[in-house]
Amino acid sequence: MDDDDRLAMKKRVQRLVYLAAGGKIREDELAQSDADLRQIGLDSLGYLNLLEGLERTFGVAIDLDQMEDHSFLHTIDNLVRYLAAQRGEAA
Amino acid sequence: MSGIPTHGPLQEAMADCLARHSGRRALVGAEAVTYTELRDRVQAVAGWLREVLPSSQQLSKHMAKPIARHIGFCLGNRPEYVVLYFATLFAGDLPLLLDANFNSGEIGAIQADCGLDALVIERTKVAGLAVEGKAEPVAFADDVVLLPLARQAEPPFRPRPATQACRFTSGTTGRPKCLEFSGEAVVSAARNWVLGTAMTSEDRTLCLAALSNGLAFNTSLLSTFVAGAELHFLKGAPLTRPVARRIAESGITRLVAFPTLYRNFVAPGGPEPATMASLRHAISAGAPLWPDVRDEFRSRYGLDISDYYGIAETGPCTFERDAGYHSGLGQPLPGVEIRIAPGPEDPAIGEVLVRTASMASGYLNHPGLFEERLDADGFYHSGDRGRLVDGRLHLVGRTQDHINVAGRKIDPTEIVAVVSALAGVDDAVAFPDEDLNREALVHLVVVASDGQVTKGAVAEACRSRLAPYKVPGRISFVAEIPRTGIGKPRIALLREQLGASAAS
Repeated sequence: MDDDDRLAMKKRVQRLVYLAAGGKIREDELAQSDADLRQIGLDSLGYLNLLEGLERTFGVAIDLDQMEDHSFLHTIDNLVRYLAAQRGEAA
Repeated sequence: MSGIPTHGPLQEAMADCLARHSGRRALVGAEAVTYTELRDRVQAVAGWLREVLPSSQQLSKHMAKPIARHIGFCLGNRPEYVVLYFATLFAGDLPLLLDANFNSGEIGAIQADCGLDALVIERTKVAGLAVEGKAEPVAFADDVVLLPLARQAEPPFRPRPATQACRFTSGTTGRPKCLEFSGEAVVSAARNWVLGTAMTSEDRTLCLAALSNGLAFNTSLLSTFVAGAELHFLKGAPLTRPVARRIAESGITRLVAFPTLYRNFVAPGGPEPATMASLRHAISAGAPLWPDVRDEFRSRYGLDISDYYGIAETGPCTFERDAGYHSGLGQPLPGVEIRIAPGPEDPAIGEVLVRTASMASGYLNHPGLFEERLDADGFYHSGDRGRLVDGRLHLVGRTQDHINVAGRKIDPTEIVAVVSALAGVDDAVAFPDEDLNREALVHLVVVASDGQVTKGAVAEACRSRLAPYKVPGRISFVAEIPRTGIGKPRIALLREQLGASAAS
């Protein structure tokens, strides 16, 4: 995955996070891709929407109870890294 | 049934269920548990509770009169929740069902007001919990512990003798209000739900709403066992894919969930209709269900979502029994009477008044508050406006000023007070609005004439001083808040102005 792919993926993830939060996250906060999403307005319903969006957009199956570490969900950077790794495994 | 002591109507009803349906499956999580096995587990755990916690006599030795042990449940749905809940009752203790998302401040307030002798909680949450008198946690299951809490001074409020379960409403000042329910009320709610919704021993209920919430408490926890049916839980987040898989694999007949899940079902890419073939009832509560989601769910899955109406203080109120009837919130359940207080403009539209066989007895920590909301005939003032059409309840709005976000009540004046204290803020108002997903949110509108105050600063002030669910989801700035002659904000006009500016 090259830088262009990664940038495109980041934009899609930012859009998904924005939609999952129902537009409640401000643009400047969304642009800080290392910000903790829980701190900037993604609540539990927002996370539910985000997980649905990730599954449907990227075709990944996310079983949280099978995973010890949920930190991949905490920031946009972490999400992009996680999705890139999933894609790498699938390839 | 021998061996399990019974202390009241709730224990008697459950003991009867456990004996009557002995060979059938009762609880299904990662594994299935029969009624007989559930009885044995409840009995063993009741004994364990007696061993691991000091007795109520020991705990009450400084008090004029002993008080039952209060066990707080601060835990997401899982089979262990059910086992511990009934074990608590059979051990003669009082279960208090807390919202699993309550923070240390809210749990501490409950501890101070009502008394908590132990908390059932996830092991990983113990370290971060800042409450008084934490002792060494006692392991119950892999990820669940019983956390004994040293009894502080005698709690200022003492539950009524008939109280067998307590649940909470959010309260507007960070102090959850504790509702007391008699065993009779809990049993009535369960029996009337079974009767009114024709639940049978062939039913398999997948409960995704929190058991501390009135919906799940009344439609799932005892009612399932009264019917001899199966109660299923899902591990992990309630996403549509695992939910649909579980429905298909287990032949689930009833889904107890909330509007957001149903909306995700009907969104593009949602589960195939074939996976949902076994489902007979889809029940939604916690927040109003969007009519178009109900329509799309019906057209996609051939099933009407029943938009149950219940009130924390009264228990379940309505259910639509006629599968061909598509509007309103259904007819009153058995044991429920609904009246409409005639409104000023139209006598057919007014405040919804409810009297049920499953009413709370009162608020433990707010004496008199519940009684104030009852009329002379014992009908509860719901705060909702509505009307009855063809015997079905239809809601048209609220009579109160509270903002309801995901089932939690927020007092807008608390938010306005925080923001008004900021330097540079001249005026502010908060009112209910919706986000892009049409979920309820608090919209805060601020007047800051010197232009120095930023959205970020307002948001930061709210985040640092308010519980997370009270933080406004939207913040707008205006030059002036339109007000009436007596200074009341004109919200409808403000919405119009903001809508116009957003569109321009």
